[in-house]
Amino acid sequence: MPIGAGYAEAIGHHGELVQGLFEDDGAQMRRALVSLPCRQLRSKARFTANNSDQLRVIPASREKARRAAELTVNAFGRSGIGADLQIDSNIPLSRGMGSSTADVLASILAVLDWLGIEAASDDVMQIAVSAETACDSTLFRQQAVLFAHRDGVVMESFRRPLPPIDFISIDTTPGATVDTLDFEPARYDQLEIETFRPLRGLLRTAIKNADARMLGRVATASARINERFLPKPRLAEIETIGARFDAIGFQVAHSGTVVGLMFDASDLKAPVNIERATAALRQSGFEPAIFRH
Amino acid sequence: MSTRALMRKLEDFEAPRVVPLGGNLYGASFFLMKLLPARFMLERAADQGLLRPGATICESSSGTFGLALAMLAVQHGYRLILVSDWALDRNLHRRLIELGAEVTIVDRPAPSGGLQQARLDRLQGYLQDVSGSYWPSQYYNPDNPLSYGKVAEQLVDRLGRVDCLIGPVGSGGSMSGTSRYLRTLFPDLYAIGVDTPNSVLFGQPSGKLNLSGLGGNILPSNVDHSQFDEVHWLVPAEAFHATHDLHRQHGLFMGPTSGAAYRVAKWWSRNNPGKTVVALFPDEGHRYAETVYDEDWLEKIAGWSDPPRASPFTVSTPMAPMSGWSRFAWDRRSLDDVLAHASDQHDTAADPRADSARSGA
Repeated sequence: MPIGAGYAEAIGHHGELVQGLFEDDGAQMRRALVSLPCRQLRSKARFTANNSDQLRVIPASREKARRAAELTVNAFGRSGIGADLQIDSNIPLSRGMGSSTADVLASILAVLDWLGIEAASDDVMQIAVSAETACDSTLFRQQAVLFAHRDGVVMESFRRPLPPIDFISIDTTPGATVDTLDFEPARYDQLEIETFRPLRGLLRTAIKNADARMLGRVATASARINERFLPKPRLAEIETIGARFDAIGFQVAHSGTVVGLMFDASDLKAPVNIERATAALRQSGFEPAIFRH
Repeated sequence: MSTRALMRKLEDFEAPRVVPLGGNLYGASFFLMKLLPARFMLERAADQGLLRPGATICESSSGTFGLALAMLAVQHGYRLILVSDWALDRNLHRRLIELGAEVTIVDRPAPSGGLQQARLDRLQGYLQDVSGSYWPSQYYNPDNPLSYGKVAEQLVDRLGRVDCLIGPVGSGGSMSGTSRYLRTLFPDLYAIGVDTPNSVLFGQPSGKLNLSGLGGNILPSNVDHSQFDEVHWLVPAEAFHATHDLHRQHGLFMGPTSGAAYRVAKWWSRNNPGKTVVALFPDEGHRYAETVYDEDWLEKIAGWSDPPRASPFTVSTPMAPMSGWSRFAWDRRSLDDVLAHASDQHDTAADPRADSARSGA
């Protein structure tokens, strides 16, 4: 067993472009999502082996990260190894932005780095789901995927990565928090379940054609369905401001509090529109933050 | 969820083939569109315990819904009783019997509601007599329009944005359902329903119908009037001419309701260049080989030898007498709303037969 250290990073996200219930190839229904990755949000994990028989995590509150590292060591290395796992993350907690998943993924990848192993993404996702019940799709950077976040399996791999999206992040309830895992999964009715089919169809077309505008339609429709389960305060106001400045739609953290007003990053007018929309949001009492793809 | 009832053996037949028809007009051409709502309704009924394994399905149909049920029943082990009438094509009748369906023919219309009502009365008898029987009820079962999420998916998967959807209306399921799903993504979608004079679906006074699959003498609850921006009415001869045009010009051998949708879609598409238009073509033409595709039969159809109208006559009320292709701006209103408004303004629009709206082409 090597002495030394492993290092890895994982990114957070700004909620989802779509989240719902989808039929897999065997006609089984699975909960699945497409995260909106956010490369500015990062969790960094350093795994340093030592001679103790304890696997410690710092800060100690990141228990899921410790558990993920332990599961990885057990799966690929030798159990009972002593190590320090240092987590350093700038991802806001309890907002539905993937802080926990990023910690977990970074920890798994740091252990693999220490072991000098390349593991299949399926195995990584399985460990992540074991460590924290659900997981997002941020691991998949080269190709967008529809990811069954509670099963840890890819339901559909799209041909290309997501088209570039700039967005304005608005936290609709800055004080409150949502425990994204305690939040009870939405009980969709039949109309909602069947509505996820055309959403998936347009998602496929939008990614294939790198059409951010169509992706905005999908995200907006998914966000609207989610209003019945976890409504976002003042969403209508955000939407109105977006319409004034040619936003391509909005997306939400389906089990969190943030809303993203989306802009087509390939549109030359997007930077100006984003500045103006941000000013308008601020004037309406929101605390907007700009994220470029 | 793993115990969900699945009846997917014919699933590959459910999807339409998307055919470019010039410009931005596309035909969604089905082998047998009703396979999708039929399968969906049966699966849901089985899930809810309304349809037990090996039970009897009873339905009133002289058309494609009955055929779809028969194909599914034989695949998945159900008994099927179909109540039909004289309009049942004899080849379809033979086909249903070969599929093991028990077909019973009603020959006397009910005092009100015509043959359609007489069939429903007979159907009620079977539902009472056969224990454990299940009635899919395509006119009233909300699972019929609900099933069309899959069609909406296939259209956007192939075409991306859809601006206008045009289709014939019978049960109301395909047009009401598909429009509703597409509007979750494209709220501005323009939906056009195609009906026929004497059908009560969009407010015409009830009368004899000579175009199977289009319109009806009873209003199904599955017609969601608030989905329609515009409604057109075609008389049978016009639909039949259009059916031949669709075959001659594009090689698509479809039924007459497809022809009706094609006529309207082509007209709308020409007047709205750049808009992506989809016309729903619900079934193939084989069932009509001895009627719509038979010159001798066509000779007896009123208006067959007249040149068809090149464009619709715009009516100010859906209650207006119509001697040919007509259109009305429905504006996504309820039927009550439209009819109340129509009776306010009285009918100023008498349909001028043989006027300039009629093309000599």
